[in-house]
Amino acid sequence: MSAALQSYVATLLIYLGVNSIACWGLNLQFGVSGVMNFAFILFQAMGAYITAVLTLPKATAGSAETYILGWHLPWPLPLVGAGVAGAVLALAVGSFALRPRRRDFQATVMLVVSIIASTLVVSEQGWFNGNQGLFGIPQPFAGSLSLLPAGYDWFFVALTAGVALLVLFATDRFTSSPWGRRLRAMRENADAAESLGTNVRAESLKVYVAGGAIAAISGGVLVEFITSWDPSGWGTGETFIFFVAIIVGGLGNNFGAFLGAFLVLGVFLELPTYLPQLSNSNVEESLQSAAIGVLILAFLWWRPQGIIPERRRKLSRLVPAAAREPAAVESAASVREEKREPTTAVTREPAQAATARSAELSVRDLHREFGGVHAVDGLSFELVPGQATGLIGPNGAGKSTALKLIAGAMPPSGGHVLVDGVDVAGWPAHKVSRLGVIRTFQHTSEFGRLTVLENLLTAAPGQPGDSIGGALLGRRHARPRQLELLEQAWALLADFQLTAHADTYAGQLSGGQRRLVEIMRALMARPRILLLDEPMAGVNPTLRLTIEEHLRRLRDSGLTMLMVEHELGSVERVCDCVIVMAQGKLLATGTMAELRRNEEVVSAYLAG
Amino acid sequence: MSQVVLSLGFGLVTASILAIGAVGFTIQFGVTNLFNLAYGEIMTVAAFAAYLARTTLHWDMWLAMAVGGLCGMLVSLAMSRCVFMPFLQRGTSQFAMVMVTVAVSFILKNVLQIWSGANFYSYQLPPEPSIRFLGMVFDARELAIIGLAVASLLGLHLLFQYTRLGKAMRATSDDAGLARSVGIPTSRIVSAAWLLSGLLAGIAGVALAMDLGTFDSNTGGSFLLLIVAAAVFGSVGEPYGAVLGALVIGIASELAAIISPTLKDVVAFAILVLVLLFRPEGLRSGRVQLRGEVTA
Repeated sequence: MSAALQSYVATLLIYLGVNSIACWGLNLQFGVSGVMNFAFILFQAMGAYITAVLTLPKATAGSAETYILGWHLPWPLPLVGAGVAGAVLALAVGSFALRPRRRDFQATVMLVVSIIASTLVVSEQGWFNGNQGLFGIPQPFAGSLSLLPAGYDWFFVALTAGVALLVLFATDRFTSSPWGRRLRAMRENADAAESLGTNVRAESLKVYVAGGAIAAISGGVLVEFITSWDPSGWGTGETFIFFVAIIVGGLGNNFGAFLGAFLVLGVFLELPTYLPQLSNSNVEESLQSAAIGVLILAFLWWRPQGIIPERRRKLSRLVPAAAREPAAVESAASVREEKREPTTAVTREPAQAATARSAELSVRDLHREFGGVHAVDGLSFELVPGQATGLIGPNGAGKSTALKLIAGAMPPSGGHVLVDGVDVAGWPAHKVSRLGVIRTFQHTSEFGRLTVLENLLTAAPGQPGDSIGGALLGRRHARPRQLELLEQAWALLADFQLTAHADTYAGQLSGGQRRLVEIMRALMARPRILLLDEPMAGVNPTLRLTIEEHLRRLRDSGLTMLMVEHELGSVERVCDCVIVMAQGKLLATGTMAELRRNEEVVSAYLAG
Repeated sequence: MSQVVLSLGFGLVTASILAIGAVGFTIQFGVTNLFNLAYGEIMTVAAFAAYLARTTLHWDMWLAMAVGGLCGMLVSLAMSRCVFMPFLQRGTSQFAMVMVTVAVSFILKNVLQIWSGANFYSYQLPPEPSIRFLGMVFDARELAIIGLAVASLLGLHLLFQYTRLGKAMRATSDDAGLARSVGIPTSRIVSAAWLLSGLLAGIAGVALAMDLGTFDSNTGGSFLLLIVAAAVFGSVGEPYGAVLGALVIGIASELAAIISPTLKDVVAFAILVLVLLFRPEGLRSGRVQLRGEVTA
């Protein structure tokens, strides 16, 4: 190879490395966790600037270049500094931009941040030399290595590859850990994840910070190679080029992100240099941007999962063989149970094995207003521990709202919710669920692109590797507890007769099966009070009987349940006592038979 | 002090344009639950349409603005019918839909840029005599823009409170399924929302181009951020909140411009950040909204 060609190939490889790092960072945020960071380019830019000012010596007074710091640090400290700066910036931006619950609001706020930041950098000459930007940034080891230019390029390729491998190692550990599973669950259904103990805002912020640091590192490597950096290099539009790359390559996996970096940022954006020059470079740029729009539409239409889709994780093969034997299921469950509660020597059924001791719940004078409408209006009741209670009433009586208020899915306007004497009114759902108050949803809320087994595993509390630090420790650290949970989940699947679907994406199951997944998932969270919001809605009659059977057995095992349901037959068969609500208030309580004799109830509801 | 009053006047003009745009944005979001980041491009297309009407057909500016409004309606409806609806019917997720709107915005903006040769355009309006009012200085055109905003907002208020169409829109935004089950033709109501928001975008786009003096293919897109800030400020989907947001952000950003022109956007944004910190779903969240429960 000639020297020029060598240098060209090396340059392309370095760009591929830098863009891969960036794409892995964005994939962690968007592909894995569903956080739409429309300020992505800002983090890369910040990394570049910080690397530059940490590498450059102090700005000399009177020179044309003004900037902050100028610490003249040796490699790799500037890169480390860039990562830290990216993380700090992400923490600052994320602390307000991640506050709205809708991802699209968050994205737009970030877009605004990105634009404002670039306005500020341009106008504040003293930070990073404004519009002219920084230049003449020394390359790492440039002085101490006596290499020819082409030789140095290859050295830099190795350097980039080293950093890229480190980032790949970290992001791979993140995605394959229990923490990564939690992030994917959050992406699929934030409300359901929240109800199972995920603090969605906090986890999003962690991902935002990790991705921000990675983006900044990519910017740092880039600026060390190109030795200059100015505002024209990080227009807001650049963010979308990275989005296109990971959408085309494939969301949620590092292979896809790498392929996207290669195809979009390498081939697609490099290609025009080989085409005959158009008369006007502005036209060329516009065409390229328009083509990016077309690419987004085309992929979201024909191949929304990208060229390399996220891999389906077949966890069933990890389930210990002993646990997979049908005969072993019950004994395994009972053994586990004995380990935890040595006093209970009675062999329980697997579905019950997953439940812990029941808690007491009492609701006092609960209120919720929607713009003048009193959806729940002074509701008070107490659940009898270990019993199943039905909550019925006509449409709009406030049953589902009451359930949401208890579970923390929305704050009450007033009143108290006492769990074992602790007032949890106004607590966020993830905190309430940590007390063992677990709610299922009126509309099925499975994590669609997680397998059934994964759905179950996400709900279990106390998993090593279910944190950003724990994830970095790798599979071996997480494995013992994972195997234990897999065994437990398998026992549930066997009990609900869904083992054949263990590795199926939950979103591909029938409506009734998804209900079962939801109930099993709730049981994995070791509930002490189970709140069921219309578990029979949209379920065929046969499966309805199955669900009833399971709920009855849970009741018999001593789990406290509160069930909102329209199917009165089911309520009668499952529940010990029933609460009737009308117009936000408690109308009557009693057994179903008693209520049928209560004229007020009959006229309000049962007859109609 | 006189400088402050003077800026207050500019602020009122900006706020008026912002209010028309933000209400249009918020109505469409409220009814369709889609965060449309291509909204700014509807404004730009309308500004160019008005330009053609004015320079090639030599129409009166206000007539040209009507052309812009009409064009905004068409672009808005076409966008929803040809792109957004098909994607939604295909089951594209909420966050993927934002990418779809970004893609449409990219395509429109860049096609316009090629077509317009990346040049700046002007309606070449003759200077108007200035009118002093309480220490603020307006020209007749600026007063007309303020008047237009007041009239549009009043019209919208009447529409939502007293007409069948307006009530049907509110019902659809609250619960489309329920609205359909009580016999409201929701698909027609949704189309009406796209048309109405397109009309408001078109008027806002032309008014913005008049106010700025010159415009290019990026004008609407950059203004969109202020619109979003105003809409998010007052809880997206809540028209009255959007007007409030427009007033606060419009006036505050012009006042900040006294200190430094670059502060204009920074201040608008700082207000947004503060609101988000204390009321993540916007200032008027929890009230009766065009779209009832945004997050559930």
